[in-house]
Amino acid sequence: MGGSNSNWSSGGATGSKLLEMLNVRVVGNADRPALVLSHGVGTDQSAWNRIVPYFQRDYRIVLYDLVCAGSVNPDHFDFRRYVTLDAYVDDLLAILDALRIDRCFFVGHSVSAMIGILAAIRRPDAFLKLILIGASPRFLNDEEYHGGFGEGEIETVLAAMESNYEAWVRGFAPLAVGADVPAAVREFSRTLFNMRPDITLFVSRTVFNSDLRGVLGLVQVPCVIVQTAKDVSVPLSVARYLKDRLGGRTTIEVLHHTEGHLPHLSAPAALVPVIRRSLSR
Amino acid sequence: MAVVGGERGKTHVHDLPEAVLSQVLELVRDVRSRNAVALVCRKWRFLERLTRTSLSLRGHIRNPFLLPTCFPSVSHLDLSLLSPWGYHPFHYLPAPTRLDGYLHPDNYNDHHHLLAADQQHLVAQRLGQAFPNVMSLTVYARDPSALQALAPHWPGLRHAKLVRWHQRPQNPLGADVAPLLAACSSLLSLDLSHFYCWTEDLPPALQAYPAAAASLACLDLLSASSAEGFRASELAAIAAACPNLRHLLASCVFNPRYFGFVGDASLQALAAACPRLSLLHLVDPSTLSSARPTHDPADNDLTQDDAAITATGLESLFAALPELEDLAFDLGHNVRDAGPALEALGRKCPRIKSLKLGHLHGVCKAVWLHLDGVSLCGGLETLSVKNCPDLTDAGLATIARGCRRLSRLEIHGCGKVTETGVKKLASMLRSTLVDVRISGCRQLDAAQSLRALEPVRDRIERLHVDCVWVRPELKRSPENMAKAAANLDDLLEFEEQEISDELRDKKCSRHWEEECVDDGDPSKSSDSSSGFWCWIWDRLRFLSVWVPAGEVLSPLVDAGLDCCPELEEICIKVEGDCRTCPKPAQRVFGLSSLSRYPRLAKMKLDCGEAIGYALTAPTGHMDLSLWERFYLHGIGDLNLYELDYWPPQDKEVNQRSLSLPATGLIQECLTLRKLFIHGTTHEHFMRFFLAMPNLRDVQLREDYYPAPENDTSTKMRVDSCSRFEDALNSTLIPD
Repeated sequence: MGGSNSNWSSGGATGSKLLEMLNVRVVGNADRPALVLSHGVGTDQSAWNRIVPYFQRDYRIVLYDLVCAGSVNPDHFDFRRYVTLDAYVDDLLAILDALRIDRCFFVGHSVSAMIGILAAIRRPDAFLKLILIGASPRFLNDEEYHGGFGEGEIETVLAAMESNYEAWVRGFAPLAVGADVPAAVREFSRTLFNMRPDITLFVSRTVFNSDLRGVLGLVQVPCVIVQTAKDVSVPLSVARYLKDRLGGRTTIEVLHHTEGHLPHLSAPAALVPVIRRSLSR
Repeated sequence: MAVVGGERGKTHVHDLPEAVLSQVLELVRDVRSRNAVALVCRKWRFLERLTRTSLSLRGHIRNPFLLPTCFPSVSHLDLSLLSPWGYHPFHYLPAPTRLDGYLHPDNYNDHHHLLAADQQHLVAQRLGQAFPNVMSLTVYARDPSALQALAPHWPGLRHAKLVRWHQRPQNPLGADVAPLLAACSSLLSLDLSHFYCWTEDLPPALQAYPAAAASLACLDLLSASSAEGFRASELAAIAAACPNLRHLLASCVFNPRYFGFVGDASLQALAAACPRLSLLHLVDPSTLSSARPTHDPADNDLTQDDAAITATGLESLFAALPELEDLAFDLGHNVRDAGPALEALGRKCPRIKSLKLGHLHGVCKAVWLHLDGVSLCGGLETLSVKNCPDLTDAGLATIARGCRRLSRLEIHGCGKVTETGVKKLASMLRSTLVDVRISGCRQLDAAQSLRALEPVRDRIERLHVDCVWVRPELKRSPENMAKAAANLDDLLEFEEQEISDELRDKKCSRHWEEECVDDGDPSKSSDSSSGFWCWIWDRLRFLSVWVPAGEVLSPLVDAGLDCCPELEEICIKVEGDCRTCPKPAQRVFGLSSLSRYPRLAKMKLDCGEAIGYALTAPTGHMDLSLWERFYLHGIGDLNLYELDYWPPQDKEVNQRSLSLPATGLIQECLTLRKLFIHGTTHEHFMRFFLAMPNLRDVQLREDYYPAPENDTSTKMRVDSCSRFEDALNSTLIPD
């Protein structure tokens, strides 16, 4: 039951098997439009727990885990398949097909925002609106582009992950955590260390190598970019960059009194009205 | 252990007739010994199975044919730990409806591990057939359907314990307990201490089934999750329904500002309705929470409310309950001048053996030389005094004079008690004291508590101290001991001692010098004037410590617990707000310092009351993964057999979960056989535990209220748990 434009190289799981693998959960009102909540790397769908109750009455909410989430059976993580973000997009579209959802609203955090953008390019008519929390087309800095993370900082993160991997392979305790790295990367990487060390390393490389700047213009769907007042991982300049480059109608919503990269965990009360406003327009 | 003796060539244990052999095996109680017996040969295995009386079922109920049927004599059956933990045996889903070819979204979330409706009756019947003689049952009753299915199979049930940490489902009042009372009319005891329900649930259920209520002799209603406590009317209703009660434990509303508070009149009514009470524990609900109250009772003496219970009320209560043996009155409000009431207790209730008092003032005033207050209860074996701000050293000495049989003592929050008082009591009760708990007393830090217990150091078996470090070094020279002894002589004129102080000091100092053990550890040498020596706690088997958040454990060894050759079990509780405490001075908590205790096998590490940030720590703060790394570092150095671990929690997101470093560090503990995590964790991390070669028994028990229910991680974890257990069960075990 895959989509017509699925191009899996080694073939992923189809339909209902995928629903089970990724712990897909549908709650809320079945007669209302669908709202897909997609979490960022290192957390799982329980990150949305404080947001879901506000939308249960008015939407049919679809929650799922990314394949790299800590709560998904690590055997399902196919290292050959999930090399780029495209495979994650395949999974998302397969879920929509299996649940027979034609059109939906999409809320994505961090890496899931990237996945949402790619999905909207592939299937523009499936998404009514994209709400992107803590989104960035590229996390690494460039000559003129300030993505938030310098090359050296990324290296520290990857080095910490590599030492974890070494320890884990040899049966020792992987002791490096997200807070051992420079402050700029700290909050972002805190969540990255919440998975098995080999998956962590692999997914981090995928994330830091992704660059969506070139394809932003292909997005036709209207977007809302939600940004906290101070997110060390995603500077405000990135939000403006996205607004300028995204192809569809785009607005920026800033959560003025909130800090941090995970507003759905640290300040749900501030985030909910913003999401509600965005969904209703 | 079963006696397997026999002369060579003559009679052998195999020659014993089966009837005799089964009698012998019946007497073996220890579970591991029984397992060893079962491995000897088929006949022994059959007999062992035949005679086993207590069984705790683990494993997944989805395969009813796997239920063991070879244990016909089981009289105590524990079903509360079935996997997945927290799902009672008959959690079933209605048949999934199919609309337009795809599953209805509501039913979609429950996967195939749950039972269908018709299967639950089959399983219940099978349980009834497999264990026909069950007299005592423990079951996780998440909703009434479990008891509805199970209780009819055992109408002769005598003891029942219900467990529920999840939220109470929407049911009419009393629906949880009613099926049990309906089916088992000769129920002797009902234990709801780990069962979350409302206080209004119980009286209607008891009133609806008078036969069962009248046969009830023990009722344990100390539910730690109940924030309120029973009202006076509810207590009266329960007492009226169960006139034959001998044991009653309940948390009550003692705050006089609340509607329906329990006062003197309610206590009289209780005594009148249940005159045969021998065990009565009435506590304030605030004492049941695992967190310590933050106020210091000595300071708030005036601002703390008084309870509605007076000393005269207590006196009349005691007069009406002559068979009282075990009394606990752990209140949250003050009762003034309780001394005369306690003297009345000693007179009117001659059998009193165990006493626990909280917030009672005037427990033992020791103003003159005669015995007063609680010291007149001469038969006391267990005494626990909590939050009594006027208990002094003289009071303790008087108690020691009066209660000559005291073997267990607990002092909590008594600000005026000092080291000399405890030492005096310990020396006077040297022959009987084996269990001491000192906590929350301002003038007794860890080092002082340990010094104060010097007279019973070679006898004490169970000990609790608070890890409060005031001075980095301490002097332990004999000169100081003599000085302290001289002070004691000045304090009290009337002495009744078996050995004089100086004589005892000389004996002790010789003991120290003879027992000088130098294991070459330079950090142990503390006082050069008396050479190297250590304190030996010969019989200490159980140690419990309380550590404020951010403090380290390693000074405990230097404070006096150098050498504990028999220490088997340690219980560490960490409590406090990690968000506000400064970064700890040392990099690690110091668990590896416990490796000096050669027999340490069991550990409970409770960081559940340490609050912190899981993922949302603001800049500059440590998050919980760092704290877990701090606390658990070094656990791999200990040869632990069993570990109970409560991860620190993030209250904002209601998360108690293991982080990556915690999992890795626990995994390093290779001798571990049993691991119980009282919280949640990812499947990725649970897989780490499969690398531990000796691990047999792992369970995630979210036994705190409210247990995560609609938390999606938990639901998914049901599948994860099943997969993990299948993997664990299929690994080869070396022994």
